[in-house]
Amino acid sequence: MNEDSLVPVLDVTNFSVDYGYGDDAVRAVSDVSFSLGRSQVLGVAGESGSGKSTLVYGLTRLLRAPGVITSGEVTLHLAGERNGEAFNVLTASEDELRQVRWSQVSIVMQSALNALNPLRRVGKEFDEVLRRHDRTSSKTARQERAIELLALVGLAADRLQRFPHELSGGQRQRVMIAMALALRPELVIMDEPTTALDVVTQREIVSELYELRQKLGFAMIFITHDLSLLVELADEIMVMYAGEIVERAPAVELHGAPRHPYTLGLMNSFPPLQGDRVRMTGIPGSPPNLKSPPGGCAFHPRCPSAHDRCRTQAPPLVAIEDGHRSVACWLHDSSSTEVVPVSLSRRAASRIGQGA
Amino acid sequence: MRTALRRLGIYVFTAWATITANFVLPRLMPGNPIEQLIGKLQGRVTPEMIAAIKAQFGQGLNEPMWVQYGHYWGQLFHGDMGVSITLSAPVSQVLSSQMWWTIGLIGTAAVVSFIIGTALGVLFGWTRGSRADSIIPVATFLQSVPYYFLGTILIMLFAGTLHLFPIMGAYDSSLNPGWSWAYIASVLRYAELPLTSIVLSSLAGWMLGMRNMMVTTVSEDFVLMAVAKGLPRRSVMWHAARNAVLPSVANLALTIGLLVSGSLLVEQIFNYPGVGNLLVSAVGNEDYPLLQGIFLMITFTVLGANLLADILYYVLDPRTRTASVN
Repeated sequence: MNEDSLVPVLDVTNFSVDYGYGDDAVRAVSDVSFSLGRSQVLGVAGESGSGKSTLVYGLTRLLRAPGVITSGEVTLHLAGERNGEAFNVLTASEDELRQVRWSQVSIVMQSALNALNPLRRVGKEFDEVLRRHDRTSSKTARQERAIELLALVGLAADRLQRFPHELSGGQRQRVMIAMALALRPELVIMDEPTTALDVVTQREIVSELYELRQKLGFAMIFITHDLSLLVELADEIMVMYAGEIVERAPAVELHGAPRHPYTLGLMNSFPPLQGDRVRMTGIPGSPPNLKSPPGGCAFHPRCPSAHDRCRTQAPPLVAIEDGHRSVACWLHDSSSTEVVPVSLSRRAASRIGQGA
Repeated sequence: MRTALRRLGIYVFTAWATITANFVLPRLMPGNPIEQLIGKLQGRVTPEMIAAIKAQFGQGLNEPMWVQYGHYWGQLFHGDMGVSITLSAPVSQVLSSQMWWTIGLIGTAAVVSFIIGTALGVLFGWTRGSRADSIIPVATFLQSVPYYFLGTILIMLFAGTLHLFPIMGAYDSSLNPGWSWAYIASVLRYAELPLTSIVLSSLAGWMLGMRNMMVTTVSEDFVLMAVAKGLPRRSVMWHAARNAVLPSVANLALTIGLLVSGSLLVEQIFNYPGVGNLLVSAVGNEDYPLLQGIFLMITFTVLGANLLADILYYVLDPRTRTASVN
């Protein structure tokens, strides 16, 4: 987007998460590497159980037992007062982590109703978080800041006096977004923030997020299973399947011309809001049992283009098309003799720009 | 507001029903309890007393039932619950003198075990899955031991064999009851053993209940959110504990309702004064006016406790207020 995007906010290498220990361990995220530039928006898409949420909770060390980070390195490049400091998330102590939490990385969860303490007025939640990170601030200053934050997401100041159950779903999620921005974090993680909302509210919130990002310039990781939502918001999209990245590409290109059969299936699972009526195909079968993943490519039992190689060898994530996108699929291997379906081939790239 | 009024209506109705039942029951009793009573009191009874007793049970009067009923209400409003036959004193006076022993002992025990048990529950719930979990079997054992059994053992061991505590009573009988330091110290000293036995046996219940709620609450999103916000451990724990304590608070209020009836066994074992002991002797002596008085008192404590639980919930949980706001 701009030169800012070349300065990294987050670097993740070979990150893996297991659920459980020893022989019972199930690999939920395996060997994920990516990096995110300043004020970039990275979309993470995939079905339930693809490991997308586990990935971000792991990155922030918010995983609950029995989730265990088994390998990898996560570096957060701090901003603000600690500008330029490279913070190693996985080796940091609890105290060091507490300093960074919310002031550098904040999170918005799927269900705002559950993410707000039901016994507290909204104002008190704001006050708590603002005070925690600036003990010298006055109560009135904190209240003014809270009102300012609510205004940012289009809510009136009187919402501060409300309890969570007195707000609508959209208002609650706006409160969560305002709270996530309270300490001007460098990175905001959105874990399916619009999934629990109706389509109209979803729309409003996504465009608000877009404007906020433009205005405040924070980087964002946006998790969803709705690829079409990401096209407008994200700079890049990462598609996950069975704990692995199967495709990564700039948002418009990925949407216009997917290279992985799974991405295509995911796209066909949501009706387009414009254009002709099409038959929804979805993806046959169900996500793999991670306890005994299929051999070879994890997607092969559900893949319409699967061939012999897919059943025995797992495809690595490799850069294709001059390296600005990558895919983990044998169809795009240079030695592959398989016929690439038109919908996944380079020629499909001509669809870009015709609208999604 | 309407919900509150409706609830209040239920309380008023229950109170009315109890009072009325208390009036009707002795009048429906088979046989003639009055003659029995008078027989038991042979020689110690004046004609006026007989008339008073008969009046109380609605016999020997020529007034119709509804007039008696009106009378009964009138008496109640003046705090007049009749005269205890065995103690030859007004029931209201007997009750108010004995009540404080029960409230003092059982009430204190309930509050102390609630506070300690809940605090332990918060801690053990917070450290779930750690070694601290080995407390659970111990707590379950304590919870399943009836307190009168525990009390008996404590008396045998600490008061009987070891002579560390007085065996029975509520204060040193050589002292004059009053606001003297010696008397107060003696009351406290005599309360130690019964208090300990009740606290020990009821503590585990509070602890386990709170621990379970805490474990459930800790897995809620808003607790994870508190961690994500970088709040200190203590604040995160408070977020969870404040939510987890709600069912326990309601239970505490209900326990207070059982205070009077629950005091029966403890007061028997430790030979402690109080409403429970009074009830036992009233039953043994067929002291109907006293029994009626005690029943009324029990009903009203239960009702009061329920009301208290309602009010506490209203104060502690904003979600219960919504129905009355809208």
